[in-house]
Formats: sequence, C-alpha cells, structure tokens
Amino acid sequence: MAKKHKILLFGFGRYGEQIAKNLALDGHKVAIAAPSKEELKIASKDGFEDLYVIDIEDDAQLTDLILDHDFTHIFCAFDEEEKNIYLTITFKSLFRHIPIIAICESKETERKLRLAGADRVIDTMVAAANRLYYIVEKPAVAEAIDEILFKDKSIVFEEIEIPKGSFLDGVNIKDIAFSKKYKIIVIGLVDRELGNRFIFVTRGINHKIDAGDVLVVVGKKEDIDNFKKLLGVRV
Amino acid sequence: MKFSQLLVDLAFLIDNSLRYQRIKRFFRNLLENDDYPYKKYFDYFMIFLILSSVAIIIEEVKTPISKWLYYYDVYFVTGVFIIEYLLRLWVYNDVHKIIIAEYEESLFLERPFDTKRVLKEIIKKKLEYIFSPLAIIDLLAILPSYRELRILRIFVLFRVFKLLRYSQNISHFFQVLASKKIELFTLLMLVAFTILVSGISIYVFEEHQNPHINTLYDAFYWALVTISTVGYGDISPVTHEGRTITMIIILVGVGLISFATSIIVSAFSEKLDEIRENRIIHTAKKLDNYYVICGFTHMAQLLAKRFKREGIDFLVIDNDPSVVERALAEGYLAICEDATQADAFRHINFDHVKAVMALTQTDMHNIYICLNIRSFSKKCFIISNAVDPNTHKKLKLAGADYIISPYITAGFFAAKIIDEPIAIEAINDILIARKNALCEQVEVIKGSFLEGKRLKEIDFDRYKLILLGIVKIEQSLPGEKFYHKFIFNPDEDLRLEAGDILIVMGYTVSIANFKSQVIESSLKYGKKA
Repeated sequence: MAKKHKILLFGFGRYGEQIAKNLALDGHKVAIAAPSKEELKIASKDGFEDLYVIDIEDDAQLTDLILDHDFTHIFCAFDEEEKNIYLTITFKSLFRHIPIIAICESKETERKLRLAGADRVIDTMVAAANRLYYIVEKPAVAEAIDEILFKDKSIVFEEIEIPKGSFLDGVNIKDIAFSKKYKIIVIGLVDRELGNRFIFVTRGINHKIDAGDVLVVVGKKEDIDNFKKLLGVRV
Repeated sequence: MKFSQLLVDLAFLIDNSLRYQRIKRFFRNLLENDDYPYKKYFDYFMIFLILSSVAIIIEEVKTPISKWLYYYDVYFVTGVFIIEYLLRLWVYNDVHKIIIAEYEESLFLERPFDTKRVLKEIIKKKLEYIFSPLAIIDLLAILPSYRELRILRIFVLFRVFKLLRYSQNISHFFQVLASKKIELFTLLMLVAFTILVSGISIYVFEEHQNPHINTLYDAFYWALVTISTVGYGDISPVTHEGRTITMIIILVGVGLISFATSIIVSAFSEKLDEIRENRIIHTAKKLDNYYVICGFTHMAQLLAKRFKREGIDFLVIDNDPSVVERALAEGYLAICEDATQADAFRHINFDHVKAVMALTQTDMHNIYICLNIRSFSKKCFIISNAVDPNTHKKLKLAGADYIISPYITAGFFAAKIIDEPIAIEAINDILIARKNALCEQVEVIKGSFLEGKRLKEIDFDRYKLILLGIVKIEQSLPGEKFYHKFIFNPDEDLRLEAGDILIVMGYTVSIANFKSQVIESSLKYGKKA
C-alpha cells in the first residue's frame, strides 16, 4: 500500500460515515470534524478517536485545527451540498496547498465546487447511477471493475513518469509487450508531444515515449514495483 | 325431458372440448382483445373493406359500376360483415356455461332441470348483445347491399360508423363525451327549450307577415340556425317583435355555444391524462426486455439519461404528477402510479421486464415496492436503493436482489480517490462513457473464432483493444450455483471456452467492430453445422 495519509473529514452524516469507514479500512488516519456533538457521538461509537467539534463558519477554529495537525487531505463530506461548497471556499482562502476532496449530488454543485477550488469532486449520484447501469446491463464489467478497484487489494492503478535515459525513453509504445513481459496493462498515457491530455492507448496511435511522459498502468502491485525498478523510478 | 338431457350433454361436450375452446379463444382474441398481436391485421383488413365498399356505393350514385365491383361489394364485403356479425354474437358469451350452471344448480337444489329458464337466459344474453349500439351498427351496415331498396343506401353511413370498432382514437372520443353525459343532456334540454320557445314565438308573430315562415317547421329551423350563430339569412324576421326575439336568442345562442365548448373541452382535459396513460401503458406492453424504474429521483434521472443514450427501453413510475410530467417532457415513458400499491403493476407483464429498480428516497417505500413486485413475480430481478445501511437486510428479506446506495458507492470511491486519483478518473471516464472510451463485456460465443483459442493467438492490438481480464463462469459442484470468477490480466496460454466473458477496453467503434466479428464468426459456424 502507498504511504498512509492523514485526512481531515468534515461531516459525519450518511456520506461521512461510509467514507470514514472506507478510509480507515484502507489504513488512513482519519480525523473527523462536525458541527454537532450528536454526529461525533456516532463516530466515537464506530471507533474513531480524533474528533473535533467545529463551527464551519468560524475561520479561527479551522485555522487552529489545521495548524495544530499536519493533515494531507481535507474531505468535505457533509450531506448538505452547500456546506461542502462553503467549506471548500473557506479552506481554499485559508490554505491553498492542502488538496480538498468534496462530494456532491448534482452537476450544478460539481461545477460550483470546481469553481471554489476543490481538487477532486465525487458526484455520488452519477457514480451510483452509472454503477446501476453496469450492474443490469454489463454485469461482467461491473464485476471486473469491482475486483480491480475494491476487492482485490493487490491490483492497483498507477501513473509512472518516464525518467530520462531509461530503457523506455525514445521507444515506440507498440514495440513493447507490456502485458507479456511485465505483466502489467498500459491503459493510456500523457504524451507530452501531443499536449497534456490523457490518451487511451486504444486510440491506436503508436506513441513514441519520451522522458517526462506519464504512463497509466494497471497491474499487480509487485509487478508494477518491479517494472518501476527496471525503469529506475524510486518505489 | 329428452331435449334438456341433450342440451346438458351437449354443454358438457363443448365444455370438455379443448379444440372448441381454442377456436373460440382465437376468435375472441381476434375480435375483442386489443393486446392480441394479430387483431391489428384483422382491423386493418376490416377498415379496408369498409372504405372500399363506401367508395363503391358513392361511385354508384352517379355512374354504373362494373360487374366485378358490384359482386365484390354485394357478396364479399357483405359476406365478411355477416360472418363477423355472427362471430361476434357467438363469442359474446358462453352458452354452454349457462346450461352447466343451471344444471349444477338444479342438482344442488335437487330440483328438475328447468329448460325454459335456461333458454330464456340464453336468449336474454344474446339479445343483450344484439341491442348494444355497436351491434346495431354492425347489423345496419349489412343492409346497403340490398340494392333493390334505394333508401337502404343511407345505411352506408353505418359502414362508416363501423370504423369505430377498429379505430381506438374515434372510440376514445366517444368515451370522453360519454363521461359528460349529464352535462350534455342538460345542454340538449336547454337548446330544445330555447328552440321551442323562440320557434313558437316567431311563428306566432310572423306567420302572416313573413313570406318565408309558413309552418312551425320553418320557425324551428330558423330558431336553430339563429341560436347556433350560423345565421344563413334565408329566413329573417321582418317585424319588430320578431327582431326583438332574434336579438334575445342570439345572446342566448352565444351562451349555449360557449357552454357546449366548455363541456367538451373540460371533458377532454379531464380525460386527457387517462388517455395518455393508456397510450403509454399500451406502448410499454409492446416493449420487450425493458426496465421499470420506480421513483424518478435524482439517481433515477441520471440512470434514465444513460439508458436513453444507450437506446435501452424503460418505464418510469412515480406517484407525483409533476415529476411524471417532467419525465414525459424528457421523452421517457412515464406513468403516474403509486408503486407501493398492487394496482400500479396490473398492466405490466413481468416476463418482459428485465429488472425493476426501486429508487425512491425513503427506505420504507423501497421495501414496500420490493414486496409489491415480489407478489407479482418471483423471478424478476429487483434492485433497490438503500438510504440507511441498516435496511439492507430488510430489503433483502423484502425480495431485493441487489442493493445500491449512493452513500456506500461514495465511500468506496472516496477511499480510492486519495491513493489512486488517476485510476478513479480513468474508471469514471469509462463508466460514464465520457471520452468515447468504454469498458465492455464480450462473450465467447459458441462456434465463434474465439472459442478454443489461446489468448496469445488473438491479436487484441489489431482490434485496438486492451484485455483487462476474463470472467470465467465456473461451477464448483454439478448442480450447484454458477459463480463468476474474475481473472485479471490472464496468462497468455489461457484457453478460451464458450461462455467466458472477455472484459475489454477500447473506443466505441473498436468494440463494436470486435463484437460484430465475434457474432459473425459464430453465425458461420452455425451455418456449417
């Protein structure tokens, strides 16, 4: 597993509870902040220890909380969308550098959150609706995605930046049998020659890999680590 | 006594004859069952006969028609009409059931079998049909074929009326009007009263002065023409008294006309929803393999959008009319029903439903919906939304096969988005099909070029696809449940078997191309075999 993060989670409603549990399961350190003691009571029953009662409109309290701890991520997971927007704005004005992840339930809020400066936004309804679509229409795909993303912890996605002078520098992507040789699957890449966009390899372009390009691969953790070693990337 | 015995024997014979039942059911379906697929063709055929025969009779008014057309009209069309009339009379009810019922009753009460009563009952039932409006129209529509009596030609109109039977739209119109029977009757009375009063008064005032008004009939004719605001002007009042009456009844006429209009308009606006709902149910009935979405919530709307984009059929059920309105505006099939009530699903044949989704915001409603659907169909796949994780168990008990919860999904994604942000974005792109990149399942069809191949023999690169993995369907023990086993990035020596599912990633066109090749190759195999 990658290195553990220290995450500050706001809100312990329906979303907050699930998110906190999943984060804790993945081994992250989770601190929970909520405006009311009631919510925190449930959190403490669920076994969370770092609990803070916070008034989200009080900037001083928020500043103190952040300064006293070294949180790596902030998660805005109130059930009420507008609180998430408000909190995102507040944090972006106080601390630019801490990545903020927020959840939302509609496209409109997603747009606002992005404007507010959230680094990652999860549209829970879109995620659930599309999941539903796959479950009924393409159950095998749903199963595979579940397996890769959630169930099988040994399979991970990773982005690898190609170091200068490594054996991939200057090579055409099709000349390498990634899945045969290294047991990893290359899904796409960011080819700097073509801009900063992520391109799926299935586009069929035989990209020339250069130093600085980013490969997005999926595979068993150990295979990816081996591959990175061969490339000379620090693991 | 003997006759009654014969009657009872015959009734039982018919009751036991499967062939008789089948034939009768066939005709009943053909004539009366709107859902019977072949009724449509029968209706078209009858409409054609009616229109052609009407055309022939109209043509005949001026010019003599050819012998063949005459034979066609007199023998063929009329023949079909007569046969149809008799068939309808036959399928209207089951005579033998009346006999059997009476026979059983007589046995039970230990009294002699009453032949007279039975015959009376049978005749009563059949007469009931004969005197129903549509049956009278049918009968009268047969008459114009008797050319010797010219007056019968007017009954050609009844042939036109006969169209009612075969066109739902026209019969809907009459149903709507029938719902306002009382109002229309009041209106009719009012009109009759006004005509009577004004007609008599104009007659009294002008009979001597006005050369056009000679009889009471003229007066009534004038009254109707005036109050309907048509006002031909062939008869007009000449005296002051007559003009005064005219002014009054013109005012009354305007009132009556608007009254009539409002009755008809309100009847339609009241019935419009019902008619529209009927249409939607009718359309839904014709669908095969569709989804039923209960509760048009935010998640349901997103799902519906996706379904629509993929061209998948579905029916939305919600109990809020304004929500249904919105769904209809989006162009979805939607009906306003309470999905927790058994009534909501009375028109739905669950054999054609792929899955039902209970997506309301409250767990209680979802549980009710699950229970409700289970009472209709044991097999139907049910997916339910769950708000509170504690209800999962209850939902399962209520019959839900799968439970979806935006909160849990959010939890999954949240945990991953910190460690593997790109993965989540890439997967999201794929799931939402945003960048035209898809993840798709391709079944290894028996006989296709995939079957029996080792993975290294298939050049996925050429198809511009990535193979993510394979789902193998395995059976641990014979007779046990099948389970899916996902193998990620399988070994290239793995041999594909029919029934395996490849999980491939690629652009829409590449996947479509690959799939069609798989299907094509399996078809060739089918031909060879």
